[in-house]
Amino acid sequence: MSTESEPLKPLRTWSHLAGRRRRPSEYEIVSTNLMYDAKNAESPFELGPNIPLSKWFKKYRHGSPLSGRDWEEFRDPDELTYRAYNILQDGQETYIEGLFDQHNELQYDAGLTAAWVATLPRLYTPARYAYHTVQMASHYLVQIVPSSTIRNCATYQAADALRCVSHRAYRTAELKQIYPDSGFGTAERTAWENDTAWQGFRELMEKVLVAYDWGESFVALNLVAKPAMDEALLRQLAATGRRQGDSLLGLIADSEYRDVQRSRTWSTALVRFAGERPENLVVIRGWVEQWLPLAERAIDAYCRALPDSPQAATTATQAVHGFLQSLDLH
Amino acid sequence: MALLDRADWYDIARDTNWTPKYVTEDALFPEEQSGTLGLPLEVWESYDEPYKVTYREYVRTQREKDAGVYSVKAALQRANFLDQAEPGWVSILKLHYGAFATLEAMASSAESRMARFGKAGGLRNMATFGSLDENRHGQIQLYFPHEHVHRSRQFDWATKSMHTNEWAVVAARHLFDDIMAGRDAVGVALMLTFAFETGFSNLQFLGLAADAAQAGDISFSNLASSIQTDEARHAQIGGPAVKILIANGKKAEAQRLVDIAIWRAWTLFATVTGPSMDYYTPLDRREKSFKEFMQEWVFGQFERTLLDIGLERPWYWDTMLADLDTRHHGMHAGIWTFHKSVWWDVPPGISRAERAWLEEKYPGWEETWGAHFWDPIIARFLKDGPVDTVLPSMVQLCNMAQVPITGTPGWTPGKTGRPLQDFPLEHEGRLYHFGSEVDRWIFQQDPDRYKDHLSVADRMVAGMIQPPTLEGLLDYFSLQEGEWGEDALGHSWLEEYRQEQVQAA
Repeated sequence: MSTESEPLKPLRTWSHLAGRRRRPSEYEIVSTNLMYDAKNAESPFELGPNIPLSKWFKKYRHGSPLSGRDWEEFRDPDELTYRAYNILQDGQETYIEGLFDQHNELQYDAGLTAAWVATLPRLYTPARYAYHTVQMASHYLVQIVPSSTIRNCATYQAADALRCVSHRAYRTAELKQIYPDSGFGTAERTAWENDTAWQGFRELMEKVLVAYDWGESFVALNLVAKPAMDEALLRQLAATGRRQGDSLLGLIADSEYRDVQRSRTWSTALVRFAGERPENLVVIRGWVEQWLPLAERAIDAYCRALPDSPQAATTATQAVHGFLQSLDLH
Repeated sequence: MALLDRADWYDIARDTNWTPKYVTEDALFPEEQSGTLGLPLEVWESYDEPYKVTYREYVRTQREKDAGVYSVKAALQRANFLDQAEPGWVSILKLHYGAFATLEAMASSAESRMARFGKAGGLRNMATFGSLDENRHGQIQLYFPHEHVHRSRQFDWATKSMHTNEWAVVAARHLFDDIMAGRDAVGVALMLTFAFETGFSNLQFLGLAADAAQAGDISFSNLASSIQTDEARHAQIGGPAVKILIANGKKAEAQRLVDIAIWRAWTLFATVTGPSMDYYTPLDRREKSFKEFMQEWVFGQFERTLLDIGLERPWYWDTMLADLDTRHHGMHAGIWTFHKSVWWDVPPGISRAERAWLEEKYPGWEETWGAHFWDPIIARFLKDGPVDTVLPSMVQLCNMAQVPITGTPGWTPGKTGRPLQDFPLEHEGRLYHFGSEVDRWIFQQDPDRYKDHLSVADRMVAGMIQPPTLEGLLDYFSLQEGEWGEDALGHSWLEEYRQEQVQAA
C-alpha cells in the first residue's frame, strides 16, 4: 500500500520529468503531459463514454491507424513556447509593418501596372479564404491530436495562418483605396467560389477540413495541402509578382515563408517520431498518395492562371515532392 | 499616416465565410462539434465581437504582457517570498495551480473548437486568439509553480492533478468537460466564455489578485491580473453568439445552456474559491468575503450583463443567493475534515478572531457552523487530542457537482442556511443523488449526457476502489504521504482554545 511506503520527497522538477538525466528546459516544463483526455481511450471525458464528443474522440483520435507511440514523448525541435512565439512574431510583424509603412509612403501601389492590378483581386487577395481554411484545419488539429506537445505546434500554426489572412486583408483595403473599382474587397469571395484558378484549392481544403481522423488530418494538411498552397500562393505568386514589378508581395511572402519552414520542421519531426513504428509509415504513405493528386491538380489550376509563369506549376509541384521525398514518403 | 487604421481592414479579415461545394455544410460543421442548432452559415455572418484585436496587435501586446510578468517573477524569485509566507497563502497557491493550470491548457482545445467549427468568421478569429491565450495560461501557470517544486511535493500537482481520480479533480473535470472539453462550439461560446469567464473567472483571478497583493505575493498578484486581461477579452466571444441565438428564435436553448453553466460554475467556485477567500487567506489580508465578491461580480455585474444581452435571470437565482451562506462553509468543513484527500494543507481558519470575522460577514455562522460543527470538534480534540483525518462514513456525493451533499449544521426553520437534503432521482432504474434541485434539474435537461457517469461514491459502492478502506481510497486518489494534505497549522490553532479552557476552569 502506498501509505506504508516512505513519504514522497520534493523533487527538482515535475515528477513526470524527474527520471531524466538532464535538467528540463522551459519548453518541457510548460508543454509536456498536459492532455488528460488523451489517456483514457474508452471515455475521454469525465461525462462518460457515450456523449457525442466522446464517440467522436474515440473514433477519430483513439481509433486512428496512426498509433502505437507515446505521443507525449514528441518534442517540437524548435522548442517553441508561447512567450517565445510572441517575441518571434512581434519581430516579424514589426518588419511587415515597416514594409507597409515605407511602401505606402512611396505611393508604391500607384506604380503597379494595370494588368497586375487586374490580376491581384483574382489571384492574390482571395487567398485570405485559402489561408482561413488552413487556420480552421490547424485548429482542428489543436483539439484532436493526442498530446500537448503536438497541440502546441498546431496552435501556433493556426495563428500563423491568421497572420497570412491578416496581411491579405490589409493589402486588400490598401489597394482598394487606390483602385476602388478593381474588385478589391468585393470580388474575392466570388473568385474563391467560382474562378477556375481557385477550385482546386477550394476542393482540396473543403475535403481536408472533413478528414477527421487525427492522423489523416495531419498528413493531408501539413504534408500535402499546406505545402502545396505555400508553394503556389507564397512562392510562385511572389516569383510572378517580382517579374510583374511587384516586389512588396514577395517581401511579405518571404516573411510568411519563415512560418512555413517552422511548420515543416515540426511536421518532419512528427513523421519521424510516428515512423519509429514502421506500420505508421505505411499508413502515412497511403494518405500521402491519396491526397497528393488533389493537391497537384490544385497547384496546376492555380499556377496556370499566373501570367507569364509557364514553369510555376512544375516548380511548385517539385517543391512539394521534394519535401515529401525528404521524409521518404514519395 | 502611411499605415492603415485597424478599422480600414478589420472587417475584411473576418469576412471569411464561403459556401461549401465539394462537401456539405453539415459535413463541414457537424452538429456534435458545431452545435449551431440548425442555424446556417449566413445567419452567423452578423456576428460582431465587441472587443477587436488584430494579429499584429495581439503579438505585440502579449509580448509586452509576458515581459512584465516574467521580469517581476525573476526579480522577486530570490526574495523567496514563499519561505516566509503564511501557511494559508501557500495552500492557496497549491490549490490554485493544481486546479487550474492543466485545465487552462485544455481550454485552448475548446477555443480551437470554436475557431474550427464556429460559423462566424469573427468568432473564429477571436477564438484563434482565445486558443493562444489559454496556451499562455497553461504555460505561465506551470512555469511559476515549477520554481516551488523543491519546497513541497504538493506543487507537483500543477501537472499531476488532472491525470488522477482525486475527488476534487473528478469534480473539476466533470464540470469543465461538460461546459468546455466535451461541448460543441456554440456550447463552449455560451457556457465557457459567456457564463464561466464573464461571470466567474474574475472571482478567481481578480479576487485572488487582490488578496495576493494584500498578502505581499506581488509575483502571483501580477500573474493573476495579467491572465484576467486575456480572459476579459476572449470572454466576449460568447455575448454576440447569445444575441444571434436570441434573434433567431433560440432564446430558450441559449438560456438553458447559460443556466446550466452558471450553476455548475457556482458549485466549483464554492468548493475552491470560497474556502480560499474565507478560511485560507490570512485574516488581515482579506480584501472582501467570498460572499461580497459574489454579490458584487455575479449578482451585480454579471446579472446586469445577462439582462442587457436579452437573457433572463436563471430561474434558481434566489436559491443561489441563499446558497452563498451555506455551500462553501460546508465544502470547507468537509475538506478540512478529510484533508488527506486533497493535495494542499488545509488551514482550519477558525481562530476566535477569524470566527468573529465570519460572524460579521455571515451573521448566524456562530450558532450553526460554529456551535454545531467546529465546537464539537474542538471539544473532542481538547479532550482526546487531535486526531488525523478519518475516512468519513462515505458521504453522499452529488451526481452532478461530484462534491459532498451538504447542509447547514444545526439549521432550524428561520435560520440562515438550509437543511441537509438529498434531491434524488430515479432514471432508467438507477437512483441518482443531487445536492440541490438545480443539480437535479441539470441532469434532467439531458439525462443521456450524464447518466453513465459514476461518482467516486458510486465507484466505492461498485467495488472499483480496492481495498474499500481509507488507504485504498487515498491510493485511488493517487495521494501519498508527502503530498496529501495535513492540517496546515499542525493543530497549533488548538492552543487558543486550550487557554480558554484553562481560564474558564
